[in-house]
Amino acid sequence: MTDTTHEPVHPDGNGNGNGHSDAGELYGLLAEYDTPGELVEAARKVRDAGYTEFDCYSPFPVHGIDEAMGIKRTILPVLVFCGGAAGTVGGVLLQWWCNAYNWPWNISGKPTWSQPANLPIAFETTILLAVFTSFFGMWILNKLPQVWHPFFRNDRFNQVTDDAFLLGIEARDRRFDAEATPRLLKDAGALRVDDVHYDPDPSTARMPKWITAFIVASTAFALIPFAIAAKARTSHSSEPHFHIFPDMDFQPKIKSDQALDLFDDGRANRGEIGGTVARGSLNADDVFYRGLDNGQWTTGYPKQLPLTDQLMKRGRNRFEIYCSPCHGYDGRGAGAIPQRVAAGGGAWQARNLVDASNPVAISMPNGQLFNTISNGYNTMMGYAAQIPYADRWAIVLYVRALQRSQNASLDDIPADHRSGMQMPEAPTK
Amino acid sequence: MSALQKTLHPEEKYKAGKMGAGLMKIGGGIAALFLVLSVILSVIRDDHWKRFLYSYVIAWSYIFSICVGVFWLVLLHHLVRGRWATVVRRICEAMSMAFPVVFAAGLVFVIPLLAGYQDLYYWAHPDAAACLHKVAGVCEKALHPTLVHKLGWLSPGFFAVRYVVYGVAFTVMASYFHKKSREQDDSGDPKISEQLRVASGPAMIAYSLVTCFAAFDVLMSMAPQWYSTIYGVNFWGSACVGGFSALALMVLGIQRTGRLTHSVNPEHYHDIGKWMFAFTFFWAYTAFSQFMLQWYGNIPEETVWYKYRLFGEWQWVSIAILIGFWAFPFVFLMSRWTKRIVPSLVLFAVWQLVFHWLDLYWNVMPSYDWQPAFHEGTQLVAGPLTGNPLYHHVGFSALDITVWIGLIGVLLAAFGRNLQGNLIPVKDPTLGLSLAHENM
Amino acid sequence: MSTADATAESHPEAAGKAREAFRAITRDVAWVAEAPKPHKAWVAVLGIALALFAVGIYSIYVLVTTGIGVWGNSNTVDWAWDITNFVWWIGIGHAGTLISAVLFLTRQTWRVSINRSAEAMTIFAVMCAGLFPLLHTGRPWFAWWMIPHPNDMQMWPQFRSPLMWDVFAVSTYATTSILFWFMGLVPDLATFRDRSAARGDTIRAIIYGALSLGWRGSARQWHRYERAYLILAGLATPLVFSVHSVVSFDFATSQLPGWHTTIFPPYFVAGAIFSGFAMVFTLLIPARHLFNLKHIIKDEHVEAACKIMLGTGMMVGLAYATEFFIAWYSGNLFEGFAFINRAFGPFWWAYFLMVGCNVIVPQAFWFKKVRRAPVIIFVLCILINVGMWFERFVIIATSLARTFLPAQWSYYSPTRYDIGLFVGTIGLFFTLFLLFFRYAPVIAISEVKGAMPEAHAGKKH
Repeated sequence: MTDTTHEPVHPDGNGNGNGHSDAGELYGLLAEYDTPGELVEAARKVRDAGYTEFDCYSPFPVHGIDEAMGIKRTILPVLVFCGGAAGTVGGVLLQWWCNAYNWPWNISGKPTWSQPANLPIAFETTILLAVFTSFFGMWILNKLPQVWHPFFRNDRFNQVTDDAFLLGIEARDRRFDAEATPRLLKDAGALRVDDVHYDPDPSTARMPKWITAFIVASTAFALIPFAIAAKARTSHSSEPHFHIFPDMDFQPKIKSDQALDLFDDGRANRGEIGGTVARGSLNADDVFYRGLDNGQWTTGYPKQLPLTDQLMKRGRNRFEIYCSPCHGYDGRGAGAIPQRVAAGGGAWQARNLVDASNPVAISMPNGQLFNTISNGYNTMMGYAAQIPYADRWAIVLYVRALQRSQNASLDDIPADHRSGMQMPEAPTK
Repeated sequence: MSALQKTLHPEEKYKAGKMGAGLMKIGGGIAALFLVLSVILSVIRDDHWKRFLYSYVIAWSYIFSICVGVFWLVLLHHLVRGRWATVVRRICEAMSMAFPVVFAAGLVFVIPLLAGYQDLYYWAHPDAAACLHKVAGVCEKALHPTLVHKLGWLSPGFFAVRYVVYGVAFTVMASYFHKKSREQDDSGDPKISEQLRVASGPAMIAYSLVTCFAAFDVLMSMAPQWYSTIYGVNFWGSACVGGFSALALMVLGIQRTGRLTHSVNPEHYHDIGKWMFAFTFFWAYTAFSQFMLQWYGNIPEETVWYKYRLFGEWQWVSIAILIGFWAFPFVFLMSRWTKRIVPSLVLFAVWQLVFHWLDLYWNVMPSYDWQPAFHEGTQLVAGPLTGNPLYHHVGFSALDITVWIGLIGVLLAAFGRNLQGNLIPVKDPTLGLSLAHENM
Repeated sequence: MSTADATAESHPEAAGKAREAFRAITRDVAWVAEAPKPHKAWVAVLGIALALFAVGIYSIYVLVTTGIGVWGNSNTVDWAWDITNFVWWIGIGHAGTLISAVLFLTRQTWRVSINRSAEAMTIFAVMCAGLFPLLHTGRPWFAWWMIPHPNDMQMWPQFRSPLMWDVFAVSTYATTSILFWFMGLVPDLATFRDRSAARGDTIRAIIYGALSLGWRGSARQWHRYERAYLILAGLATPLVFSVHSVVSFDFATSQLPGWHTTIFPPYFVAGAIFSGFAMVFTLLIPARHLFNLKHIIKDEHVEAACKIMLGTGMMVGLAYATEFFIAWYSGNLFEGFAFINRAFGPFWWAYFLMVGCNVIVPQAFWFKKVRRAPVIIFVLCILINVGMWFERFVIIATSLARTFLPAQWSYYSPTRYDIGLFVGTIGLFFTLFLLFFRYAPVIAISEVKGAMPEAHAGKKH
């Protein structure tokens, strides 16, 4: 080759491609080299000649070409480090916020903010974010995807991925010269140098309409599930939930307050069956369960309760819990609730249980006392639901003791306990 | 990567000359001075040699681990037909040949065991087998129920037998690889490389077993009720950090004498640095596995070891090791420049060598305080890892440093003794590749 | 006169020789995907794989609509085939990452012939693996709760649980594998794009063109690409360690004897690489034979893999020995019993299968004759995978069948749905792999070219 005009167009496409018109503006030159080594040398020469808008194209990364072309080290590793660090911080924060701050939850006593248990996930988030930075960062820095490049108009360029080693210089480079540049490339050992022009018909550079339509349509479709979710999150519905796999959600059993057509009264609950008693509910012993002895209020205590100091103490304990709020600790009827009423300006007293001058409670037989505790009297409610049977008898025993204690004389106290004691003044009404 | 080769630089100084002998003298001098100093300090301390022996076990484990780490490179290099390490392999072989001397030095704590010394390993103490309650001559309740059955294994006699086995195994292996390598200097016979490759397979198996069991015997049995299956692997990881760090310093030291200046270049230092980085990470991985799994399972027989390292004064040592042995070197050795710029690599090598010692110290010393146990009026020795962790002191002592330096002197002397003749395997077929080695 | 012409005159045979070698690689790999009719063997195996996959689909249907009761799992063997299969598949996937990443970092250039298939195998194995944790929950439609998302119940995942660590580890692993694989594929998809376009096959050209992102082999782009590849390889290495370590934490964080032991993480990783390599070569030994790829996936590469299998097999053996020793050493009654039970309890047969296949079988690889006999290697690789399956089964089922309370001791037998699902995942794996083999570049074309001696042709030294 002695002249610098471009080679004639070959019908089999070895030149500037089948049927591509050369009438468009010149984009650049493409030179092919036989071996990777020659490509590296050519690149070095081109770089030394001061060109900057050039690139080499090869089917694999050629060893040594970065340095020959003067490619600066990429910033990618720094970005990846930052990405990884962000992943670490993110992973740690995620676990701390969810498990230790927003809703701390005791799981087998382990600390909610526990670094050994949090480390594996923090490690994985570090790697994940570093990987994303590396992957997406690389494509972005490489400005890919870029499905079209003017050099693709050259047939040999379309074989770079197979076996071609090309060097391309763009015409817009400051040093580009129509004669000197091809000469430089040829002197470096190019097998051939091709012109590559832009397509004079600009419509071929635009994305085909159907691709645009496809992208828009698929993006719209992809947003549909999110739109449904957003609507569901922000609206109300009176419909019941979906049950995709019902499993045991709908059970054929009947619940006690359910309506049921089967019976005339329309209820599922059939109530107690007449003439029957539940096991353990017979409560045959009149004395113990009702305080009645042959239809009269019993004056003693049930046989099954030995009258021990323990029972007395139990009675005192139960009295103080259940009875003293109204009747007071001393049984005189001025407990916390009457005091509260008085503080509010009212006047109400509970029954004085120990009053000898008005001995309603004193003369009441044990059985009747028991019945009052169980079923109430006037404003007093029945305590049957709260106080088991034996405890009620213990309270009866204690009330009797209270009654005796509040109406005692010095003679009631054994002689050896009497020293240092005086009869208190009779309380004035 | 490329199959480029280079030849040895014509002006390269690769003969050891008098360097080995000089190093031997220096090492011997340091050893003598500091070990004598240690003995004096121990006599002054008057604790019946207990502190001295503990420092000795730590320092012995240190020099043992450096040989283990360095020998790993020799075996691996042969096994996978490695290329980059040929230029430094002879140095590794010379250091591995220190095994016999190391094991001889270790007799300082083995022989007292055989002679009945009770205060070093608790299993050598009679109270380890103490029985609290006998029924018809059979012990119903031992002081340490999970310790009694292994006192046959952990007895001074069997311990010494195994110690000798480990020593013989390492000596035989190191000698074989060293001898064959030197043979190849004369003949250049590629068959020798093949023989070494074939031998490296079984050698790896023996190496793994011996290293693991040596770690179990010398270090793990310091807390004889405790156990961890990964302990041997963790020790090996720490040993390799120490080994590669030591290799970097050894190579630099040799280059400072004007030898091997053309053959070993930043590419090789870069690779040494990569191994330091990789094993720093690997050590942290095994150490974390051990810690996290025993923490999570929360079984008292296992967590006892960590209980005495995470509370009281020892927690600061634990944090120092976490940051110093792992976090700081890990972050900074990631970059290629810290590995290629030799002063930077040297800084990290020294740093890791110090923290490797601290790691071994942390493995052993919490077992130093032996608390008493009282039973029916008699005072027994309950052994290590008992009592209130807040009363377990870290208690650095000057002895730790003097014994450490003394044994490093021993190691240097043994290393120097083997640093003779060619410092590079001059006729190794992979030498050309190693000299031309380039990183991406 | 150009230098190239001078070269052509003085060394006519040298000019274009390098390029011819590169074209040969492109052709040899591309024909697998471009052959108009697929190989008969490929169709036959695909048919079987699809049939197996159909069995799996049916098993999944019954499982999801009826419940976990259709499996053999029951107290106390609550995990059985489900988790065995999960660990087995994940382990198999690890070899791909090892071949891609670790062999890249250690500059083992022979990896370029197998890394693409191995990476694809990783992705398919992880997909199969992921089915098991998903389905074994019983109500897999609630699985999305494992991803932390704002909700009005303040319901967050329990991040301190190893099962959650699994979620993060396996998803990270799947994502990274796919991205790494795809990144490696782009230059080769560009090759396929160009070949399809040259042939006039527009549909394929558009599909490969879209997927290859417009790759044009620019040196400036290769520079960043290679850097990213190195970084991803460097990230994938600790990732592969961490994923199987996290899987091992599922067991090791418990208190069960036989499960709770500190060596599990590296032991599981070694075992994963062991079984993964075995699976890679179970696939590639027949493939290289049927598709004439023996000059790329060379005998030396197969031999190197045998050595890796021997090495990792010995690591697994070392772990067995250490566990045994420490079980005795610990003096823990339950730990000691767990190991005796493995060998002499109800699952003794599984134990001996495991030891036979994992420790004894790989010993054959000491012998060069075996390492160079593809048929034997193929059989041994299958046995190794069987052994590794039984290793996970032994760990899981024997420890669970004999827990602390003898009154609870039980036995486990799989049901047809356990077996059906496992068989189905094998079918899924092979289906995906065969489709990959037919339609994607099965060997990393650009990497092979870069590793050939011709890549340095014409270089000045």
